[in-house]
Amino acid sequence: MDLKTGLVGSGSTESRELDLVIAGGGPAALAAALYAARYDIDHIVLESYQPGGQAALTAVIENYPGIKTITGGDIVTAMKEQAESWGAVFEMASVLSAEPLKDGIQIKADSSTYMARNLIIATGAAPAKLGVPGEDKFYGRGVSYCATCDAPFFRDARVLVVGGGDSAVKEALHLSDFVSELVIVHRRDKFRAEPYLAHKLLSCGNCNVMWNTTLKEIKGDESVEGVILNTPEGEKEMKFDGIFMYVGRKPATEPFANLVELNDNGTVRTHNIVHTSRENVFAAGDVTDNDLRQIVTAVSDGARAASAVFDKLQ
Amino acid sequence: MAILSDSDAAEVTKIFGALVRDVHVKVYTQKLECPTCTDTETILRELDGLSERLKVSFLNPQTDSEEASRDGVERVPALIVTDATHCRVKFYGTPSGYEFSSLLTTIIDTGGSEEPLTEGTIQFLSDLDTDILMQVFVTPTCPHCPGAAVLASRMARYSSRVRSEVIEANEFPELSRKFRVQGVPRTIVNGIFYVEGSISETMMTDALKKGLEDAPSEETNLLDYLRNEGG
Ligand SMILES: Cc1cc2nc3c(=O)[nH]c(=O)nc-3n(C[C@H](O)[C@H](O)[C@H](O)COP(=O)(O)OP(=O)(O)OC[C@H]3O[C@@H](n4cnc5c(N)ncnc54)[C@H](O)[C@@H]3O)c2cc1C
Repeated sequence: MDLKTGLVGSGSTESRELDLVIAGGGPAALAAALYAARYDIDHIVLESYQPGGQAALTAVIENYPGIKTITGGDIVTAMKEQAESWGAVFEMASVLSAEPLKDGIQIKADSSTYMARNLIIATGAAPAKLGVPGEDKFYGRGVSYCATCDAPFFRDARVLVVGGGDSAVKEALHLSDFVSELVIVHRRDKFRAEPYLAHKLLSCGNCNVMWNTTLKEIKGDESVEGVILNTPEGEKEMKFDGIFMYVGRKPATEPFANLVELNDNGTVRTHNIVHTSRENVFAAGDVTDNDLRQIVTAVSDGARAASAVFDKLQ
Repeated sequence: MAILSDSDAAEVTKIFGALVRDVHVKVYTQKLECPTCTDTETILRELDGLSERLKVSFLNPQTDSEEASRDGVERVPALIVTDATHCRVKFYGTPSGYEFSSLLTTIIDTGGSEEPLTEGTIQFLSDLDTDILMQVFVTPTCPHCPGAAVLASRMARYSSRVRSEVIEANEFPELSRKFRVQGVPRTIVNGIFYVEGSISETMMTDALKKGLEDAPSEETNLLDYLRNEGG
């Protein structure tokens, strides 16, 4: 039986001065924290929830070098425990804003304020919304962005998955173990997902794919009852009990909009992988404009960012 | 066979080193019609040996019916975490996966040396003049659930006006259906208004304030409410 031993932190009301604040607690931040602790940098990691980020929201990871297969929860727990064993410090707090000071950055969190000489932005990304009618209304009532969390509520139900990338296809496969029937709609005529995942889905017994199809509206009374789809043959109404959305990610950069240059899509503009428009602010992982968004690239960015801070402090 | 691995046990022993006061966990289980009671009992028996500060007692809602009714136990498996002065903090369901982390945190909060709530929440709880029941639906695979579960438990531990129940949604499908839970975490307050997702302590305090002020009579998502108010 799987038992997670990590504790849930509490907010602190202390204000502090530090060499480094790491904003976020996903794989990029966990790697940055491990390296920062080993470099003996006076630091703190501020994470809104339990550390883990998006990686904790998936049931299987099969492409992290050296580990054949592991759950998302286990890999991030191991990363956190390793970082803590070297002295990494975590606090449960959301970063609300970050403003430049003469020789540092003022970081306001939920209940406390930090003055940091350096900042690593590793706040990753949250699931993007499609923005269709019914999406907000039925969130938690049939509309979900986390198959690992909510799949058990759809046992023997009919479920729609929207998207065609790695996450959509991987999570559809996870859901197919629970549901009676799964339909995945994708706006193109082939998946963007890894061929291995795409083949697996195409041969899954209770899965159907609708190509060149988009979701127009989610319908229901108290909870999801069905959808209207735009298909190549025109609008089509179909009955579903649940809708899982994997239509991209929205970078979590709002608190940093006044601090560093952002790209039009909201990601932090970087050069030399982790450097930003401000010399004491670094960015790592899915929050950046780096093209591959995976755990292996996020941890690599995190390590580089901590190393860059170490060099600066010398 | 042991459920806690050697490394789990070593990690928990280290965590329990932070206990400075005794913490009591009352475990209600029964043999019949409770497929998850045996695992729950085993986990708690294994935890029991890991700290002298942890006092676990095992009860049966049938044979200990008076105590069960005093403790307000409505289903099994049930765990009550307490400093022996109250029974406001309950967990229904097996404490596995991320729920184990919620249970450990609640044990440390109860017997630790620091108050884990912020001043704003303490003020709100101290001023409460009405009772609140917070029922937090969770699943063991949901990484955001401990945030919501632990926050409700912290509030209930602090104020005699608040009771918290962390409910494993898969193990109690009827209850989940009753509250139409299809996503977790979901915190149902007084059986009427609810908060979807894990939110910060400050936001939860604001949501509760708003909910109590407006006293909605039908199911209301307080976050929508707060969002609409804001603009
Ligand atoms: C369903 C799914 C399946 C996936 N499967 C795989 C896979 O099999 N293999 C793989 O390599 N990758 C996979 N990925 C991608 C991988 O999870 C991400 O690339 C990786 O998690 C990015 O790490 P990160 O640390 O940059 O950001 P994130 O994981 O997004 O973490 C960012 C963290 O920052 C926190 N945060 C955000 N804003 C704030 C704030 N203001 N204050 C404090 N904290 C904040 C968030 O709560 C979050 O915990 C998957 C992703 C998803 C969604």
